[in-house]
Amino acid sequence: MNKERILAGLDAGHVTTKAVIMRERETLGYSTVPTGFDVVAAAQKALDSASDNAGISRAELGGIVATGIFGDMTKVPLNVTQTIPEYVADAQGALFLNENSRSVIDIGGNIHKAIRYDQNGSVLDVTQNDKCADGLGIFYSTMSKALGLSEQEMSELALKSTKNLSVAVQCALSAESDALDLMCQGEDIADVADAISRFIVERVADMCTYMSLTKEVVVAGGLAKSQAVIKHLPSLINQDVSVLNLPEYVGAIGAVISYEEGK
Amino acid sequence: MNEYATVNEQLDWTKATVIAAGLDSGAVSSKAVILLDGKPYASSHIRTSKPKESAFSAINAAFSKTSLTLENIHYLVATGRGRTQVPFARETITEIACGAAGAVHIWGQSVRTVLDAGGESCKVIHCTEKGRATAFLWNDKCAAGIGRYMETFADLVNKEVTEIGDIALQSDEFPKLSDFCAVYAQSEALDLMRSKVPLEQVIAAYHYGMARRIATLVGRLGVKKDFVVIGGLAKNPGIIHRLESILKVSRLAPKPEWDPALTAALGAALFADASHRRQ
Repeated sequence: MNKERILAGLDAGHVTTKAVIMRERETLGYSTVPTGFDVVAAAQKALDSASDNAGISRAELGGIVATGIFGDMTKVPLNVTQTIPEYVADAQGALFLNENSRSVIDIGGNIHKAIRYDQNGSVLDVTQNDKCADGLGIFYSTMSKALGLSEQEMSELALKSTKNLSVAVQCALSAESDALDLMCQGEDIADVADAISRFIVERVADMCTYMSLTKEVVVAGGLAKSQAVIKHLPSLINQDVSVLNLPEYVGAIGAVISYEEGK
Repeated sequence: MNEYATVNEQLDWTKATVIAAGLDSGAVSSKAVILLDGKPYASSHIRTSKPKESAFSAINAAFSKTSLTLENIHYLVATGRGRTQVPFARETITEIACGAAGAVHIWGQSVRTVLDAGGESCKVIHCTEKGRATAFLWNDKCAAGIGRYMETFADLVNKEVTEIGDIALQSDEFPKLSDFCAVYAQSEALDLMRSKVPLEQVIAAYHYGMARRIATLVGRLGVKKDFVVIGGLAKNPGIIHRLESILKVSRLAPKPEWDPALTAALGAALFADASHRRQ
């Protein structure tokens, strides 16, 4: 393959669509847009703004490699060069971003999953959330809106919490009810924000009991950017974790990397 | 959510004998209604962030087009889930009692069943011609949040929460979604999108699922006529139309002069008015 070839990685997820522009193993630009209803339009928009961000024109793109739950839907309309299964893209992306990593926990908008892989990024084992734990990312966004905060503000506040409150153990919908109840009882917003963050990690930790994670464990997905969420992860899964650089782009980057593997 | 404040310019509060206010501190939105000698004068509807602060914001929004201040209010009753978080309330009364009282005031003495479909919870209330609640049923936990999930759902399909209810009626043929849980239904709706089901069908399917969920609750207590719907979801034609056809009963149409979301706040204001007169 031509080393100067510029490729776009596209990760069409339930909630957001991510695009990266890469030359060889260097990331030139990236962009995230809401997926909404029109998956193809969102993908187009993500690719355009990632190209702008990289300072290249669409004509310079040597190809598009797609992944994500809606990846296949973009294949024909966008003339996608190749599609990569999500687990493969996640494993390859995580290994690329941290070469010592052997497991990745991906906390996305609608689905969270954990993947174990070898030193080549080949997938060894996979687990995904059960249905009652769907939508943790959506839940996190909804809660920040309900509390009148940005996601960043909610995370910062949660880190200041001094009280151990808790919301429902199983369902995001009940957790939201419980959180609103706590607010109505006059509890401090920082403590409620912390309870929300811990609830998310408990769900993720539940999932992780179905599969052993080998070191090093890295975290990806949009929620990896919440320090308040990450704070609780090591104690609840009994393992050290590190957050990948550009955590929400692990799938998109992994798609490009997988393509470069010459498959 | 539509935040607003209204005032009836024809009335002059300085001439009123009794200035009574009701504040409904909901889990999702906070509402205030001010009555001058029992007549509606000012109202407001805002999003709840922190219940205590939002209580102040709601009453101040209701004051915004008037020269009223808290000192001028003779009696204020707080209701709603956050009613204990309203520092300036003289009294707190449940949203069940306030919803029934408000509904009978708006629609008249023929009302016997009130469905309060709000952001967080759904309640069915039976009441007398005087607006006194005689029985009620609260949603079980798995049916919480139908109202606020409408907003989340609207965001996911990139539409306004005020328009999805109409879009839901554009399609009579649609796949069936989970009618047990709003989270399941949303997840399934996302899957339908992926399988290229037309947008209006996805929206219709979601509304139908939620309407069935509410219908189950209403059915457990039973509907006695006349039937009215209050709370924010009363403004969603997609939910209401399906609900009416599942229950085989029509609700009394909303009154143009009253936002159904303000009903419990109105009920609280009516109680405030009565309490002040009793003093």
